[in-house]
Amino acid sequence: MSRKLSVALALVVTAAMLLSACATPTPQIVKETVVVTKEVVVTPTPVPKKVLRMNLGPGDVPTLDPSLATDVSSVQVIELTSVGLTRQNEETAAIEPGMAESWDISEDGKTYTFHLRKGIYWVKYDAAKGEVVQVLDCQGKPREVKAQDFWYGIIRTLKPQTASDYAYVLAFVIEGAEDFNKGVITDTAAVGVKVIDDYTLQITFKEPAAYNANIAGMWVAHAEPSWLIEGDECTEARGDKWTETGFFQGYGPYTLKEWVHEDHIVLVKNPFWPGIPSVPQAKIDEIVFRMLEDTAAFAEYEAGNLDVAGVPIGDIDRVKADPVLSKELVIGPVLCTYYYGFNTKAPVVNDVRVRRALSMAIDRKALVENVLKGGQEPAQWFCRPGLTGCPTPKDYPDLGVKYNPEEAKKLLDEYLKEKGLKPEDLDLTLMFNVGVGHEKIAQAIQQMWKEKLGINVKLASQEWKVYLKTIRDPKATPQIWRLGWCQDYPDANNFTREVFSFGGSANPAEGGGVNWKNDKFEELVRAAAKEMDPKKRVDLYAQAEQILVYEDAVIAPIYWYTRVTCTKPYVKRTFSILGGLEHIEKWDIAK
Amino acid sequence: MTRYIVRRFLWMLLVLFVVSLITFLLMHAVPGGPFDREKAVPPEILANLNAKYHLDEPLPKQYLRYLWDVFIPHISHIPPGTSLTDDHLINVKIGEKLWLKWMNFGPSYSSRSRTVNDYFRQQFPISAQLGTMALLVAVLIGIPLGILAALKQNTIWDYLGMGIAIFGVSVPVIVLGPILIWIFGVTLKWLPPTGWGAKPPFILGFIPSKLGPEFFKYAIMPSIALGLGQSALIARLTRASLLQVLREDYIRTARAKGLPERAVIFVHALKNSMIPVVTVLGPMFAALVTGTFVTETIFGIPGMGRYFVISITNRDYPLIMGTILLYAVILVLANLMVDITYAFLDPRIRLTD
Amino acid sequence: MSEQAAALRVRPEVLARPSRGFWEDAFLRLIRNRAAVVGGIIVIALIFVAIFAPYIAPYTYYEQVLVDNNKVPAWMLWLFPSMKGYARISDRYPLGADYVGRDILSRIIYGTRISLTVAFIGPIISLVIGTIYGSISGYFGGRVDNIMMRAVDVLYAFPGLLFIILLMAFFRSTLAHPAPGTFVYAVSQLDAKVGGMLFIFIGIGLTAWETMARLTRGQVLSVKEKEFIEAARAIGAGHLRIMFRHIFPNIIGPLVVAETLAIPSYISLEAFLSFIGLGVNPPTPSWGLMISEGAGVIRTYPNQAIFPALALAITMFAFNFLGDGLRDALDPRLRGTR
Repeated sequence: MSRKLSVALALVVTAAMLLSACATPTPQIVKETVVVTKEVVVTPTPVPKKVLRMNLGPGDVPTLDPSLATDVSSVQVIELTSVGLTRQNEETAAIEPGMAESWDISEDGKTYTFHLRKGIYWVKYDAAKGEVVQVLDCQGKPREVKAQDFWYGIIRTLKPQTASDYAYVLAFVIEGAEDFNKGVITDTAAVGVKVIDDYTLQITFKEPAAYNANIAGMWVAHAEPSWLIEGDECTEARGDKWTETGFFQGYGPYTLKEWVHEDHIVLVKNPFWPGIPSVPQAKIDEIVFRMLEDTAAFAEYEAGNLDVAGVPIGDIDRVKADPVLSKELVIGPVLCTYYYGFNTKAPVVNDVRVRRALSMAIDRKALVENVLKGGQEPAQWFCRPGLTGCPTPKDYPDLGVKYNPEEAKKLLDEYLKEKGLKPEDLDLTLMFNVGVGHEKIAQAIQQMWKEKLGINVKLASQEWKVYLKTIRDPKATPQIWRLGWCQDYPDANNFTREVFSFGGSANPAEGGGVNWKNDKFEELVRAAAKEMDPKKRVDLYAQAEQILVYEDAVIAPIYWYTRVTCTKPYVKRTFSILGGLEHIEKWDIAK
Repeated sequence: MTRYIVRRFLWMLLVLFVVSLITFLLMHAVPGGPFDREKAVPPEILANLNAKYHLDEPLPKQYLRYLWDVFIPHISHIPPGTSLTDDHLINVKIGEKLWLKWMNFGPSYSSRSRTVNDYFRQQFPISAQLGTMALLVAVLIGIPLGILAALKQNTIWDYLGMGIAIFGVSVPVIVLGPILIWIFGVTLKWLPPTGWGAKPPFILGFIPSKLGPEFFKYAIMPSIALGLGQSALIARLTRASLLQVLREDYIRTARAKGLPERAVIFVHALKNSMIPVVTVLGPMFAALVTGTFVTETIFGIPGMGRYFVISITNRDYPLIMGTILLYAVILVLANLMVDITYAFLDPRIRLTD
Repeated sequence: MSEQAAALRVRPEVLARPSRGFWEDAFLRLIRNRAAVVGGIIVIALIFVAIFAPYIAPYTYYEQVLVDNNKVPAWMLWLFPSMKGYARISDRYPLGADYVGRDILSRIIYGTRISLTVAFIGPIISLVIGTIYGSISGYFGGRVDNIMMRAVDVLYAFPGLLFIILLMAFFRSTLAHPAPGTFVYAVSQLDAKVGGMLFIFIGIGLTAWETMARLTRGQVLSVKEKEFIEAARAIGAGHLRIMFRHIFPNIIGPLVVAETLAIPSYISLEAFLSFIGLGVNPPTPSWGLMISEGAGVIRTYPNQAIFPALALAITMFAFNFLGDGLRDALDPRLRGTR
């Protein structure tokens, strides 16, 4: 209001001055001009700050150290305060240049030479001055982000002493990284990351692969401030606590203003971020991240204290019917899959007919509509559409497994006839980790199996850590077990191969998990990893998935995740499909 | 009296030792470790993690190392507040770059940037504030209701009073909390739906620096939601106990002596009837002050209650030990206060031993 | 003898009343307390409902009709008008259906079984262990008292949740099919016999008696110095007799009351255990579990939490008024009066 007024007054003054220059000045106008000018000068109106209030989820963010982060909330904040070599577009999942404005790939496809941008500086928030300032080096010059900083970040992640959980991703693809991480070698020169000059970084990968550029941009490979962590002549070493309020240094579109543990994080716009095509300058001045459980967060949203909130499953019906809230509701994809795995060596489920019958008897659509209600997509295979390389239902409508109770019954009857058994004789247990949602889904599916196949499946649940051990224990893996998988990097390789190939996360070499080996499957996923032609790649994964969920029916995929969010109408935003990782520098508030 | 207190302190140390030993053994006996994840962690990474936190050492050594860190003070060059493994509750500067440090409860495995001491310094005071407010609510509602019900036994006041108490107990926080938030926070917008009105640093470690309307705005709903349920026990115990005491001979004597009824009740009867009430206040205080998971989650209060449960599901060993020892200390101290109060309430109880 | 004296020498037959036993006396007093009688009737009705649940409940407790999820009967909209915009109507379910289309009323009726079992067994375990322990500690005092109370302190700070997870890991984990003859097998058989509630009882047994012990001890401490105890000692009564015949009736009041009040905490312990997989197996319903699940949708479908909570509240009222009546009835000071 007053802003408009002062603009109007300024116009009047200017007009008056122009007039007075031309016309004979009358004392009245001159007096008014003087008075008005004084007023404008004495009361400058501050531009209102744009503040976005969001929620990260219950409990404190475990860490803001890029080398140590594993949690979605940690990564969200890290991706706002520092930028990787490459950047992933949150709406298309395509790889875009990040801190590296371009990169060259060698003939053999293994060596990538990244050319860094110039003129990006390390910053921190100075509470005394109340603003973001550049970090100065020992000669008083601002510290620029250089290739050395990226080298330091990557090596620090790989160092065994750092004990980084996600180092394995880098160790898996970068030459020499695995041995370094295991402590077999200690010479950093043997790791395939070299600083060619201040703005050129060279990374040598073990194999040519479509996802190499992706992994190079992951948070574990972000630049880190070595002077702050280790210390130098003019900076005190902060060690493990370098990310605390008052010490944090970053270089991205935002930087950390305040971190009150368990309660909130405040990020403030970094005016020194020049803005690059994939990461523009921020429009919102401050972001406040609360740490609330989703029901509490949604109550705050309804009270007007949060601008964005996820809708808890219990409120979905109400929100969809509410005249105001339903307009603010958006359901979008998340790159995760929910599935039931089969222990293919356990009794009863060691027969593929039983497994396929169980999978086909699940009415996924009914489950989503009546129990889940979040607009989730019934899953026909394992990798989540949207990942690079993963088939989509549009292009492959008949791929994988679908609800077909008659076919399921036929298969089961065949099995029963051969064994001379009745459905009630089958002894089956479905196990899942404790959780309201899993309980609900399991009960609904238990009922479906009873109605459509006549089988009584017993339900069992275990506490999370105990459960993780149980499903990987060759002697104890239950016949049917529940798990989910979310992307580490958005490529089908991370799903189909890393989880289910022999030795994978859900298929340990010693036994447990799905307990399965299929040479054709192994061949297909290995070929797909190397394949550079996108269409051919998708086709290879499609074939692999067909084996996984239909021919061998090793798992019964249940649904592909979505997230249900409400956003206030004054927030102009993008919707990320990357599973909770938003690029808020692209958002704006129009109040 | 002093000798009694000193003796109780010594017993407390013994209790803490036993509790810490049992907890330590139990938590290592439970399957699953702190670093088990959905994605199977490669064995080398696991080895790195275990080495960093000394989890690869034999159990007795780990236990002794823990006791050493907690009980033995030592001198160090590392400035306080920069390391995760060398963080202590008490730091005394004795030289240029030299500190005398005491009580290191270890890093937290689930948070890679905080130590157990950080939780004690930052989250525990908030839980303590909430717990104290809730206890006040419980006592301020419970005792008057109980007295009223006892004095007007079997009348409408009795039934109404006890009815309120029972209602408080039957409607758990998990239902009452969201209802309060819905009415006062979202619809009427009189009170903030979530959050807490004080943040570290605190005076004397746990008193909020500003005790104004800002603080109480946030504290009202959770204190009532939590305190109402607890008030029922206090109300019922007060009523039952007062009824019993009012029938004692010495009360009859006091009345016969011609003392005004008010004096009889409030000076003589009430004091003695408080014994069972005070008994339950001890453990109630300990439980409330160390944080309640449900209330803190519903109201988004950054306290420690969450961590009593989460530390176990995360197998965060130092945090498990820390929270349980904290609870044990407070419980023992609270019970000590209760026992001392017995002596004041009823002079016939002698503090033996 | 003077005339007055003769008049004063009352005729024994007139003054003598039939001497009643302590318990008979108590029972008669109990009946006179109206609130207690109402409470008692409700408790008996609940027992009846629990036993005859299959005949009373309109539907089974496990039958799911997925498309009927969260439906409510028409009259519910008058009670909770906020649901008008989205609630789907079905008059098939008297109190509405839950998230997978099971009838809430039927589940509340069947849930009576679990809740009553917990409500009865819990206090019994707690009272038996707690009062005996507390009586011994308070009565003997001194060193005995000190050691016993410190032991209680340790057990109180005992990481119960940790222990429960441990139990879970050993007994319910992979061992859905334990080998017959082993200890684990015996335990799981016992568990099955008590309807899957063994761990709930163990849980209560571990946590509930400590308060009772402390309360008892406090009461005993204040009572044991009284004159009538000294008198009993003087006439040579043994410890046991003093404890049970003299001290016990004087302290039972607050103990019974505290115990009846602890019943909701047993029920919520049971809900918590069921939640983490150590309690009743789904789809068996329990009020505690229904309330916790209903709390998640309390703003959208309040009926799912309110009706089980109502059932709980009524049960609580009943037990409490009954408990009060018991206390009044058992108070020896009222003996012989009215």
